[in-house]
Amino acid sequence: MHISDGVLPISVALGSGVASLAVAAWSVRQTDADDLPKVAVVTASFFVSSLIHVPLGPTSVHLLIPGLVGVLLGRSAFLAILLGLLLQSLLFQFGGLTALGANALLMGVPALACGLLFSKLRGTTQRQHVIVGGLAGGGGTLASAVLLALLLASGGEDFFGVAKLALLSHLPVFVVEGLVSAFTVSFLFRVKPELLRQQRLGALS
Amino acid sequence: MGGAELIHLPLPVLLGALLVLAGCWLLALKMLKLALAGEQEPQQERDWSVPVIDAAAGGSSIFHRWDVRFKLVALLGFAFLVVATRSPWSALVAICLSFSAVLLAGLPLARSMRRLLAMSGFLAMFLLIMPLTAVPRPADTLLVFSGLEYLPFNLRGLQLALAIIGKACAVALLMEPLLATASLPRTIEGLTRLGVPEKVGQMILLAHRYLFVFLEEARRMATGMQVRGFRRRTSIATLQVMGNYLGMLFVRSFERTHRVYDAMQSRGYQGRFPAPAYFAVSVSDWLLAASWLLLGLALLLFDRLWLGGV
Amino acid sequence: MHDLNRLPPIDFDGPAQFELRELHFAYPNGHQALRGIDLSIAAGDRIALVGQNGSGKSTLIKHLNGLLPVQQGELVYQGQPLSGDQLQQARLEIGVLFQDPDDQLFCSTLYDDVCFGLLNQGIALETAEPLVRRSLAAVGLEALIYKPSHHLSYGQKKRAALACLLAMQPQVLILDEPTANLDPGQENILVELLRAFQGTLICITHDLLFAYELCQRAVVLDKGQVHHDYTMAELVSHPPSMREHGLDFSFRLAGLSTQEMPAQQACNLPPETPPSIVPELKSPVSAVVELRDYQFSYPDGTQALRGVDFALQAGESVAIVGENGAGKTTLLSCLMGIQGGRGEHLLEGRALDKKQRQLLWRKVGMVFQDPADQLFCASCAEEVAFGPRQLGLPAAEVARRVDAALQRVRLDAYHDRVPLHLSGGERKRLAIATVLSMEPELLILDEPTAGLDPQGEELLLEILKELSQTRILVTHDPFLVAELTQRTLVLHRGQVLEDYPTAAFLADQNQKALNLLAVGYKQVRSREILELQHQHRHSHRHRHLHDHPHRHGDLVHSHPHEHEHDHPHAFTHVHGADSAEHCHRPLGGFHEHNHPGHEAEEHTHRHGDDGTSRD
Repeated sequence: MHISDGVLPISVALGSGVASLAVAAWSVRQTDADDLPKVAVVTASFFVSSLIHVPLGPTSVHLLIPGLVGVLLGRSAFLAILLGLLLQSLLFQFGGLTALGANALLMGVPALACGLLFSKLRGTTQRQHVIVGGLAGGGGTLASAVLLALLLASGGEDFFGVAKLALLSHLPVFVVEGLVSAFTVSFLFRVKPELLRQQRLGALS
Repeated sequence: MGGAELIHLPLPVLLGALLVLAGCWLLALKMLKLALAGEQEPQQERDWSVPVIDAAAGGSSIFHRWDVRFKLVALLGFAFLVVATRSPWSALVAICLSFSAVLLAGLPLARSMRRLLAMSGFLAMFLLIMPLTAVPRPADTLLVFSGLEYLPFNLRGLQLALAIIGKACAVALLMEPLLATASLPRTIEGLTRLGVPEKVGQMILLAHRYLFVFLEEARRMATGMQVRGFRRRTSIATLQVMGNYLGMLFVRSFERTHRVYDAMQSRGYQGRFPAPAYFAVSVSDWLLAASWLLLGLALLLFDRLWLGGV
Repeated sequence: MHDLNRLPPIDFDGPAQFELRELHFAYPNGHQALRGIDLSIAAGDRIALVGQNGSGKSTLIKHLNGLLPVQQGELVYQGQPLSGDQLQQARLEIGVLFQDPDDQLFCSTLYDDVCFGLLNQGIALETAEPLVRRSLAAVGLEALIYKPSHHLSYGQKKRAALACLLAMQPQVLILDEPTANLDPGQENILVELLRAFQGTLICITHDLLFAYELCQRAVVLDKGQVHHDYTMAELVSHPPSMREHGLDFSFRLAGLSTQEMPAQQACNLPPETPPSIVPELKSPVSAVVELRDYQFSYPDGTQALRGVDFALQAGESVAIVGENGAGKTTLLSCLMGIQGGRGEHLLEGRALDKKQRQLLWRKVGMVFQDPADQLFCASCAEEVAFGPRQLGLPAAEVARRVDAALQRVRLDAYHDRVPLHLSGGERKRLAIATVLSMEPELLILDEPTAGLDPQGEELLLEILKELSQTRILVTHDPFLVAELTQRTLVLHRGQVLEDYPTAAFLADQNQKALNLLAVGYKQVRSREILELQHQHRHSHRHRHLHDHPHRHGDLVHSHPHEHEHDHPHAFTHVHGADSAEHCHRPLGGFHEHNHPGHEAEEHTHRHGDDGTSRD
């Protein structure tokens, strides 16, 4: 789910670039200065997990995990996602340079929202963790798809068809992502629950 | 479909066009495979005692000698100018410019082609959908295929799609000259000189470094699951295993991040990476940057004024 | 031997470099890791820090360079408490070699990594450059100075990490399990480098042979306290004390005589390795697995296997040895069906095609070197059940196999434990259980004892010896080869160089015809330590102090009494350094040893108390 160069009107591309810079600056300030290198290392693992393909019928989908990043990193999530996208455009050119801001917004904002949702609603039991985690995971992807459609539609009514198609094609991903996130949260809850508390990374060692 | 010009065509024309497209795509795939295979054959140990520039070894082109900061500003600026154009023709010109940059930088074509192929799926969606979904306007030309009368093919939509694809390719082609002609740390340093916070630059480098470590870890874990009989299927059980797998990946990375930080601290890290490299600016840096930006500007003006992109 | 107040064996001139007094530390989760550490370390000391897992070694070294703050007690470095500016300075003078070199190489190229510390020391870039080159040259990596770390081999990474530290010219070098996962060649290089280091050396290790080579002083931690502090020689010469701390590696020496090396021992193995086992002579039907002229090339053109021929009979146990890059890993992944090359691959006499290769996992099980790559479930029971479930077995059978496998590896009550929370040795055993539960016909073990402490190693060996499966063992450890296999394949540049009985291989190894396994210094040190632990039976007159009922004519009574007699018995003693033959004076004094049947026999002795003596 990446917008490539040239799709968005230049005003939207520039505008979303500025907006994502502002959110990123906020995200950096919300992160403890000592934790920045740690966020960077963890980002590498998010990047790797976004390369994992999950079979779905005759094809396969690769995970986007904005929701999970939010669940694990809280307010640092936006920074991590921006970094990940930057790496991606350095290495693979999935999402282009000029659309970087837009891509960061459409993945990062849902990540922040999911992080908040998870920290407020996760409760104490494993069951609740898993349900909220699954919702956050699936919801993150759904929100990203909606934002993607909105951004595409900003090109004018000619783009509505593409926007609808993009939204529809992400529906199965949303289900897969929700389930995988629920399982991941369940695993972490049993194995290393402190990762789910969105504490400063420094407090986890 | 008020006022739009209608052209009726028999269905085989559409099928033929689709066939040609698919054929081209397959051909490109095949060529790329061959090119990549050719690239990898002389796999001798590279001489690592000389500084090498990421991926494109030992270049001495004008791009390699260009000061990173100027290169970043010029090519990024150019990219935005290209994206601002609207006509497929200016996109074509932009592709030509970018392509000449790849040639000028003396870079292997295969890597650039791979970048193009990586986004071909997303772009193909535009090519297929836009002509069908673009809203007909009075000045549009619609192709109506016999038997598919309810699905008119809007040539303006095709034009839009082609422009998008062209612009995307032009920017993608620029990536290699922009990034592969200097080492990543140097490029990042250029970025920090341009005002990106130093810490963020270091984060990019760290993430890039550990990417490879985690890729390797993920690969070994996947093998570990494979030899115990795990096969990915469309099933809940598969998703559960993938959930564990992701969880394990995260746990290992969180654990590693603390160890890395410890190691940094024990070699005297106090919040910043020491990296005082030296940048020398020459007139040619200025000239080159200015000419790229002017080219981009000219293209945009040409696009808006002559080609009538409104 | 529990003399806590004993002075460090090295003579101090002047003040100590590190002075630790009553150091306590508890982790946020409440785990009390250090309970009053008292330790003085002099400049130039070479200390082996040993002890069981969880004894506080890692916590202690994290204090020595200030990664963990002092909670209670005192930690003085060069006369000042380790905090603030002194801490920053100390970190630039104290180098720590962490276990995983990937953690330590966090920059984009080796050059940047080595530079990192130097620039932090405030050295100008122009001055730093020659230092970088020199220290990389010292570890033999000057040709790779601009290579990104992720393209290095493990051994190269380890050396690069050491170069990063040595470039900073540290006064203290702290090493955390430096030899873990290194092959003998790389280990040898590391030892040479460390031997040349002049400053203080503090080394956490389970490998006492390595420690014995480099260190003079042994500090044994137990439950967060210094339990022993004495010379390395004292530690290794006293097996009971090593055993107490899970360090006893004497079982490794068991087969060695002071004269002959493992070959001797291997030749004494039961004669179940007749030469007829040479594969060509056997009919292929009886082979569990067979490769014929097997070739494999990686996509990048590297030819990893160049015509491998070998067959494995049911119940056989075979070692595969070879230098790094000889193709061992590739061979294993081909046997597992992860990779497929050209040539014939037969299972139970039938050639496998691509599709059947995908199903090899049902018959062939593999235990990886690093259990972390194999464990991904939230409980041990799930972990072990994973394979059988993939086999499609009914739930009852799965449960039975889980129980059996966990029992096999001595993890009986571990069903609900979290694999990630287990110790290294337990995780290794769990990984073995996950494979055993699939009841494979062929079991492949890749460096099974890597990273284990001697105690864990001994237990693992015991478990592996009980297994009846056809086995392939890949290892650099001559001891394992001798203990677990009857046949050895020597792989060299993708070809089978030798295929012969293990005894013959060990003989080769001994004559240095092949130098694939043990590091030279280890063989020498093993012998030395054996001398130190020298224990044998011999006869001489000696005195006993007994307390048992005995009879003097009609009188039967019991009291401690001493008497002298002459009979053979075993006891530990040290010989002169280079005495070839066995000569030492009969020692007088008391010996503690069993003296069976002594009570029954009628004997006489002097009754000192009442003055009566009836000889």
